[in-house]
Amino acid sequence: MTGRNVWLRAGIAAVVGFTMSAIAPAQAQQPTGKPIRIGQTLSLTGGFAQTGLAHRIASEIFVERLNAKGGLLGRPVEYVVLDDQSKPDISRTLYERLITADNVDLIIGPYGTANILAAMGVAQRYHKVFIENTLGQPQLATYEWHFSATIGGPDATSTLPVKVLDAYASTGNPPKKVLIVASKFPSANDMAKGMERALKARGTEELGMLEYEGGTRDFNSIAARVKDADPDLMFMASLGVEGSQLLEALNRIGYKPKRHFYLYPSGVMAADPLADNALSYSAFEDVEPYISTPEGAAFAKEYDARAAKAGLPYPFADSQAGNEYAGWEILIAGVKATNSLDDKKIAEWLDKNEVENIEGKRDFSGRSHTTATDMQQLKQVQKGRWVTIWPLDKRTPGAQLVAP
Amino acid sequence: MDMTNSNRVALAAVVLAAVSLLALPASNIAPFYISFLYLIFFWISMATSWTILSGFAGYWSFGHAAFFGSGVYTSATLAAKLGVPFLLTIPFAAGVAALLGTGIGWLVFRMQRLRGELFALMTISITFVVAAVISNTPIDGGSGVYLISVPVPEIFGSQSGTIYLLGLFFAAVTLGITYGIYRSRMGMGLFAIHDDEDVAETKGVPTFRYKLGAIALSSGIAGAVGGVYSIYVSYVTVGETFEVTVIMYPVVMSIFGGSRHWLGPALGATIVTIALYGFPSGPQAALGRGGIALGLILVVLLLPNGVMPSLIGCWRRLAPKQLVPVQVLPQPLVPEPRVAAGAVAMVADTPVLECRDVGKSFGGVQALRGVTLDVRQGEILGLVGPNGSGKSTLINVITGHFKLSQGSVLFDGAPIDGLPAHSVARLGIARSYQIPRPFDRLTVLDNVAMAASFGDGRNENEARRMAAHWLGYTGLAKKAFDYPVTLNLHERKFLELARALAARPRLLMLDEVLSGLNNTEVDAALELIRDIRTRGTTIIFVEHLMRAVVALSDRVAVLNGGTLIALGSPEETMRDPEVVSVYLGGAHAS
Amino acid sequence: MGGSAMPHLSLLEQALLTGVLTGGLYGLLALGLSLSWGLLRLVNLGHFAMALLGAYLTWWLGTSYNVAPWWAGLLVVFVFFFYGVGLHWVFMRFRVTEMASMLITFAFAVIVESTIQTIWTADFRRYETAWGSQSWVVGSLYVPKLNTIAFVVAGALAAATWAWLRYTYAGRALRACAEDPPIATAFGINHRGLSFLLSGLCAAFAGVAGVFIALIATLAPSEIWSWIGVVFAVVIIGGLGNPLGALAGGVLIGVCEAMTMAIVNPSWAPLVSFSVLIALLLFRPRWI
Repeated sequence: MTGRNVWLRAGIAAVVGFTMSAIAPAQAQQPTGKPIRIGQTLSLTGGFAQTGLAHRIASEIFVERLNAKGGLLGRPVEYVVLDDQSKPDISRTLYERLITADNVDLIIGPYGTANILAAMGVAQRYHKVFIENTLGQPQLATYEWHFSATIGGPDATSTLPVKVLDAYASTGNPPKKVLIVASKFPSANDMAKGMERALKARGTEELGMLEYEGGTRDFNSIAARVKDADPDLMFMASLGVEGSQLLEALNRIGYKPKRHFYLYPSGVMAADPLADNALSYSAFEDVEPYISTPEGAAFAKEYDARAAKAGLPYPFADSQAGNEYAGWEILIAGVKATNSLDDKKIAEWLDKNEVENIEGKRDFSGRSHTTATDMQQLKQVQKGRWVTIWPLDKRTPGAQLVAP
Repeated sequence: MDMTNSNRVALAAVVLAAVSLLALPASNIAPFYISFLYLIFFWISMATSWTILSGFAGYWSFGHAAFFGSGVYTSATLAAKLGVPFLLTIPFAAGVAALLGTGIGWLVFRMQRLRGELFALMTISITFVVAAVISNTPIDGGSGVYLISVPVPEIFGSQSGTIYLLGLFFAAVTLGITYGIYRSRMGMGLFAIHDDEDVAETKGVPTFRYKLGAIALSSGIAGAVGGVYSIYVSYVTVGETFEVTVIMYPVVMSIFGGSRHWLGPALGATIVTIALYGFPSGPQAALGRGGIALGLILVVLLLPNGVMPSLIGCWRRLAPKQLVPVQVLPQPLVPEPRVAAGAVAMVADTPVLECRDVGKSFGGVQALRGVTLDVRQGEILGLVGPNGSGKSTLINVITGHFKLSQGSVLFDGAPIDGLPAHSVARLGIARSYQIPRPFDRLTVLDNVAMAASFGDGRNENEARRMAAHWLGYTGLAKKAFDYPVTLNLHERKFLELARALAARPRLLMLDEVLSGLNNTEVDAALELIRDIRTRGTTIIFVEHLMRAVVALSDRVAVLNGGTLIALGSPEETMRDPEVVSVYLGGAHAS
Repeated sequence: MGGSAMPHLSLLEQALLTGVLTGGLYGLLALGLSLSWGLLRLVNLGHFAMALLGAYLTWWLGTSYNVAPWWAGLLVVFVFFFYGVGLHWVFMRFRVTEMASMLITFAFAVIVESTIQTIWTADFRRYETAWGSQSWVVGSLYVPKLNTIAFVVAGALAAATWAWLRYTYAGRALRACAEDPPIATAFGINHRGLSFLLSGLCAAFAGVAGVFIALIATLAPSEIWSWIGVVFAVVIIGGLGNPLGALAGGVLIGVCEAMTMAIVNPSWAPLVSFSVLIALLLFRPRWI
């Protein structure tokens, strides 16, 4: 392909985010040839557009860095992203489009459990390697070429609650009365049920499980019940800002939860003074030890800059962005190791090998190609930022678990 | 049946399109296009089925998501949890949704108050309740239902092909059903319900049955396509299934395409689906959506009645079809009366209608107190009385619009109180309204034709011919293809009359047909009424204008305060001291 | 709650209060929609979009330019009034019917959603104010200041509009026009001028609701759609074009939701409140 054609192509592909190596370091060789096209749908509009944006930024950074470092198999990579409007039926249709009409070489899974499961059926029918990074219920992923970029292990709904209880128990003062507040969102609801099992196994008193519908606007009544129950630990299986909304409502009735956990908080929660000491799970944050690797540091720095430029309220890389990036690293590792775009070869290689990515070294030996064990960390809001506090070897230097 | 060349071409085109659509999955086309077409078919079925109830009959439903969702979860539960073969689950999905719809209809449609926005409120509430029930019971419970391991038979070698064919099948069935309704008496009845349900019932439309049929079909189709949709997305959750767009899109698509035409919603669904899903944008997705919405606004502003009616309008202008002028219609035109010919112009002693001790109260107000009255075969009975004396109530009681509080009404010796109004109408009792209540969205001709069709049991062609006749009879022939809004008061009164006559009633009740007419018009009307009687129709004539009553009536009945105070020949009655006192005030009271 | 005893009385009181106050917010949102639907026969789905746009503007003026919410609110209300007049001009100019108005305003809501997302991203926005989460403490009850102010404003606007419609010539004329336009015109009522005024007012009410949404709720572009169902219900329960009814309807739904959340599982809230509504419709239809 002549240089002229490359530029022509770049012009055409501007809409789909194809970026030539604008930040190419001098040492890297310019990738040449027909671009390798990797397709994905993300929730760019609709109910999950907040998170979709974080994922898009992460994907774009990855592809730019990849091209800057010489591309893939010597060829440039073109990132094709389509908007699934946060709807599974559209996600499903568009993956079919990416695969059968746009003829992309490889695909990356979308964001969100419902969209992932809808898209995975398509990947299965067309025998594409399917790497997703946000599936809350990996046990549902029965497709043999599915690979999870998450590090929650095969049964996070059982292991994460135990991890939370263990972390608090390590202070010598384990929670005695736990109240569960759970969204009716499927993956969150499953996690809440996992906490119920963990409490039963441990003999810790469960004060109840308050389930609310997704889209609940008013948390004041739920707050009144939390205050009424006055738990040692409030375990909230929530999405996005629901946690902040409950905290706000609790504050209005003069109540501050002693210990509190939120499942999928929006990053901005850290900036909320009411969320001080809130706990959540983590796979990547813009703090040590995650940024101790050059790749992690470079990604976090670039992400923070772009998020700030886009005007995001919490302009720091977190688990959402980190997971997306890690997913790309896994796919590309498979391509590079097999020196091929053949989905079968990539899948077979990933099945047997370990991959090093910004979230650490991992394999796919767990059920549904998850990690063998739950490798997730716990993070806590301290002074307006998320820091990791559990397990001890992954603790952000200088941080301590605060457990009033 | 004769077929013009253009009709043949059209038929050939339809057959060709149908065959190519059927064979499409077997071709080399990328499966994405197959899936995209499926989505179009899906929305065609959703929007069109919504229209059957809401567009045609005017019962605006925001409950389509409830019917759709109950279908989704029926199929998902049966296939994923109970292992029922997928294709078998579809009839169940349709059945459960239709049952839900019919149940709601059965409860709601008998309440006259639950129309318009209250019906909309009812349906939106039901959607929330159905969603909450599914979410809080083991049907879903909050975890969603995953159908990936449900086997789907592969027609043409792929699952997409099967889903596509199911989508095509249901879209075709839906359009077929809707076309059938549109072209049938039921369609005319539903349109009449849309414009004025009470009048429709009085003209013989079995409104309850029609509405129930419409909601059953509407919800059943939504349930069936919901069942197919569950396998298409393969993971169903309450949040996605009952999303606000699922409620809104069928409404938007129908109105956009034109919700009074059988093909309008399909056209709207196709355009809107392509606009919303067909151009998935990348990073600038939000702007793209905004642009599409702007386009939608412009189209709606320019084509306010929907795309389909505008297209038809264009087509008519380009290829003007010869509208058959009413004047030159074949004129066998004197319809044989339903009564024996010998009865013409002769008042017999046999009563046609008997009111026995009829009473009607509204809450605490007695509108009728024990009225006993018989109307003889072939007579003109004048019914007079001051305002509020119960004349209109009596008519409404006889037509079955109001239920009796006491007493009974007999027609030809058989009790008719308790019968629904449309059954009374079909027995041969018709009325006109004091303030004309035409069906505003039907042409003048169709206004009369529907009365001939429902009141007199004519098929459509015959009904239109009869309607043309009655329009000629009442002097409205030139207005046949106009809409009632264009008529003046005099013409509207005669339209009322034509509509009543088209049912070829044995008993005709005229409610102040003369009010508002000038002297010449009154004389013409009186002539017409006499003529109607000579054809064998018995007439109850409610009027304020005493000159007309005396001139026309064989007998006069006088109501006051809900009580019958006099009954007899006009002269006799007008001399009755009580009548005089009622009309001239308390000074003459004895 | 898993087999626990009866909830405490203070919990019920708190929930009742919460329900009433939330109902005020529903009523505030329903007010403009109810008036334009009832008196102008226009179903304005764009009302929610405008309320959210008003919220975003309040937040943006506050966080970027340090404009206090009430000043921002005044500005928003002022600008929205003219938007409402303009909208009505378009509706009159193109003779938009009740059905078409729904379609146009639906598309308009999509445009507003896209615009908000393009300008302010889809990420969540929260307007932190020092006093935003303060409460008065009355016995064991916590009365959140902002929600109370929202309720009072909703009540005042509803009462003022009610009085305006009932006791002034303009208001009575508007109601007459809604019931029978030709006759009202025959009596020489200037329907056009009045309807512009009313449309402007409805949009201004959306602005008022927006100010409180900015201060109370978390903002995201897709929030436009999350209010539609419940506010539609509130509008119809209250009776179209009935300002006090809109508020009463809001309180009814709000209290039903809050009490359900306090006594049984919170996720039953829509089940209970809408079942109550259905029962009301079926058994006491005259009440509405």
